[in-house]
Amino acid sequence: MSGHTQSQPVPPPSRFRVSGLAGPLLWAVGLAIPAVFDSSWVAIAAVFAIYAINALSEDVILGRGGMFDMGHAVYFGIGAYVTAILNTSFGWPIFATLPAAILLAAAAGALLAGPLMRLRGDYLLVATIGFNAIFVLTMQNDPGDITGGSDGITGIGVPSLFGLSLASQSAMFWLDWVVLGVVLLLMRNLDRCELGRAQRYLKQDELAAATLGVDARKVKTQTFALGAGLAGLAGTLFAVQLSTVSPASFVFTESVTLFAVVIVGGPGSVPGVLLGTALMFVVPQIFRDFAQYRYFVFGIAMIAVMVLRPQGLWPQRRRRA
Amino acid sequence: MGTFIQQVFNGLTVGGIYALIALGYTMVYGVMRLINFAHGDLCILGAFIGLTLLTGAAGSGHSGAVLLLLAFVLAVVVIAIAGVVLELVAYRPLRKADRLSAVVSALGASLLIENSIMLIWGPDVHVFPADLLPATTWSVAGANITFVQVMIILSSVLLMAALYFFIHHTRFGTAIRATAIDQDTAKLMGIKVNQVILTVFVVGPALGAIGGLFVGIYYREAYFTMGWTYGLYAFIAAILGGIGNIPGAMVGGVLLGLFNAFAAGYISSSWQDAITFALLIAILLVRPTGLLGEPDAGKV
Amino acid sequence: MSALLELRGVGISFGGMQAVDNLSLAIEDGHIAALIGPNGAGKTTVFNMITGVCRPNDGQILWQGRDITGLAPHRIAALGIRRTFQTIRLFADMSVFDNVRAGCHLRARQRWWQGLLGLPAQRREDAALRERTHDVLRRLDLDGVADEPAVSLPYGLQRRVEMARALVAQPKLVILDEPAAGLNDAESAELSQTIFAIRDSGVTVLLVEHDMNVVMNVTDHIVVINFGRKIAEGDATTVRDDPAVIEAYLGSDDEGEPAA
Repeated sequence: MSGHTQSQPVPPPSRFRVSGLAGPLLWAVGLAIPAVFDSSWVAIAAVFAIYAINALSEDVILGRGGMFDMGHAVYFGIGAYVTAILNTSFGWPIFATLPAAILLAAAAGALLAGPLMRLRGDYLLVATIGFNAIFVLTMQNDPGDITGGSDGITGIGVPSLFGLSLASQSAMFWLDWVVLGVVLLLMRNLDRCELGRAQRYLKQDELAAATLGVDARKVKTQTFALGAGLAGLAGTLFAVQLSTVSPASFVFTESVTLFAVVIVGGPGSVPGVLLGTALMFVVPQIFRDFAQYRYFVFGIAMIAVMVLRPQGLWPQRRRRA
Repeated sequence: MGTFIQQVFNGLTVGGIYALIALGYTMVYGVMRLINFAHGDLCILGAFIGLTLLTGAAGSGHSGAVLLLLAFVLAVVVIAIAGVVLELVAYRPLRKADRLSAVVSALGASLLIENSIMLIWGPDVHVFPADLLPATTWSVAGANITFVQVMIILSSVLLMAALYFFIHHTRFGTAIRATAIDQDTAKLMGIKVNQVILTVFVVGPALGAIGGLFVGIYYREAYFTMGWTYGLYAFIAAILGGIGNIPGAMVGGVLLGLFNAFAAGYISSSWQDAITFALLIAILLVRPTGLLGEPDAGKV
Repeated sequence: MSALLELRGVGISFGGMQAVDNLSLAIEDGHIAALIGPNGAGKTTVFNMITGVCRPNDGQILWQGRDITGLAPHRIAALGIRRTFQTIRLFADMSVFDNVRAGCHLRARQRWWQGLLGLPAQRREDAALRERTHDVLRRLDLDGVADEPAVSLPYGLQRRVEMARALVAQPKLVILDEPAAGLNDAESAELSQTIFAIRDSGVTVLLVEHDMNVVMNVTDHIVVINFGRKIAEGDATTVRDDPAVIEAYLGSDDEGEPAA
């Protein structure tokens, strides 16, 4: 990409490597984004961080858990709505809503996991589409007058830390960037911990895994809870960044995009998912003038990548346990 | 009683449309175990193509019936070709790949078609001309049944009967059924699986284009995201009847149409969709092979 | 003192076909026992019932005197019962090391959140399990291929990797489903030594074998079944001379029964 220096986007943060120094280094360089770029770029970088967390959380369920979750926007939405409702209707500070958002989203994930894990493959995919539709309709119909209907909730407050208000776009970016760093660390640990291993065993051969003592129910429930909880976390950050939430942000198309980010980027691959996020969520922000072509181009790109690189743009390496 | 009869006819009309579209999903799933997410959008593309002909030829002096027939023929031909292109470009290269790759390719094709419609015809709702068909209505036990409803119900029944004959009494139909049961064995028996799949991608979208045009004519409108809405409903109908099961898709479509009509008529219409999805999930959990399917979930 | 594993009148049928009928047997701690019978006799079905893959219609399965009938496979594994598969089921995308490391799953004490936090205690546990894995690889002479993709190995080695995966957690009982299938003579001879070594390390062994000759040398106790019923039981010589056994093996040559 060549052009004016000031309109150059940041070096793609997709160069993260799970191991080695390149990843942490790029993350550290990313911290300087607000010092170099104007606030519209900082906002784009913040959105990238939020959607990267969201996509990584989808990868936990889809890429690592091998469960076809096409309703991931539900958990993202639960996080965003919990923060919005607790903050605007009950006056909770943003940071106090964060644990509630994570826990409620995780609880929803664990709860849905029960019936969902009885379904396999395409049936699971269809059921999660169904849950997504029910979630959006419920938010629109506004039961109990708490979700604000189709217009959603506006006027979400600014987070403050130790009396310091994180009102500026730069401050919010740093918050998102730090949280992304924490999530990346979690993903690295997931690769190495027993839960991550059990996910890989189950994905490859459920019967063999069971005879080694892997409790498929437990692992799948934990996987759903973890993925949903991280999506809830991203939801809180999203509500803060936009200071408003509405059902339109959590519709089925968003779930499809998250699903595609993981499969196009490379399931189970952190750099792949980050690259996918950059392509699907950041590039459209850059080419805003061509907004109406966004999904047209996505459609072509999704077919082209799958036909040319069915394993994804940056596939997972064969790794040691 | 009047409301009841009215809802039965409304339900049968919508159900016939769902069934026509559902057949495309179920046939593709049957032979290649793929949810063709682009199918609903293909059907609505058919509606737009028909609409363009109808509005373009409005002042040409031909009778409404002739124009309508031409619109159907054009839509069917174009959409059947589009179906074949879709299979050749987006699905055939992925035959041996992980099934998730094909799913994402299908989703991509759906976005591509939907947004092509938006780019060509614009994001606004298009209104279908009103004077194409006689405005005759019949009053039956306090319910009003329109000419359009009767036409849709009769043509759906006719088309489904034709498809049933094609599937069960022709060599091609036998090949399709054999491929659906076991692709590898079918191949060993000398069936050209790629040819079977192409046939399915001609027949399914062709029926779907008719379904899509019926949607436009019945509701007298077309907009670019309609493919998702009606595609999803038709897809639910296919699952209701047991995905991969052709008579099942017909029954599923009619049942869903009736269910929807009664849910809208007797329960709140703002929760109608949510109820339909809850029903879908309940069926998936209790009887994943559909109401007509064998109680054996081993297929997927 | 009750037996380590006991089957009491166990039976199962699939779609009207009685695959196993009223089968009783007991396996003593520290023994090498074998379940043999011609193809289609129901041997693997017996294994599947013991390891929780399918649930018997009748009878009881007792583990150290406790009823374990119908427990889920992962619960059976937690009791200290491990198995191999007649059709090898290694994790295809993983190295030999990772496959064997998978056997340590129940040895890991970490809770899921502890693992995610990557605390030093978890790292120490991981190091200990790696060491345990390397031990077993050395014992079974697999350390040379530890980093190879498991499915790229020759058949005989794959069987040994599966055995290593079953043994790494030091189970109380290991069930080997036709471990000699597909092995050449030299490998079969080696297998006997391996089985003795497993027993000597304190693991009770139950073999399922089709080939009687393989089990004659190694077993303490043999149970012979045919058409899902026990037809003989005892030590190697008793069983070999039993007319019912000879009849079953000679008469079964042309039976069209599917493989067990």
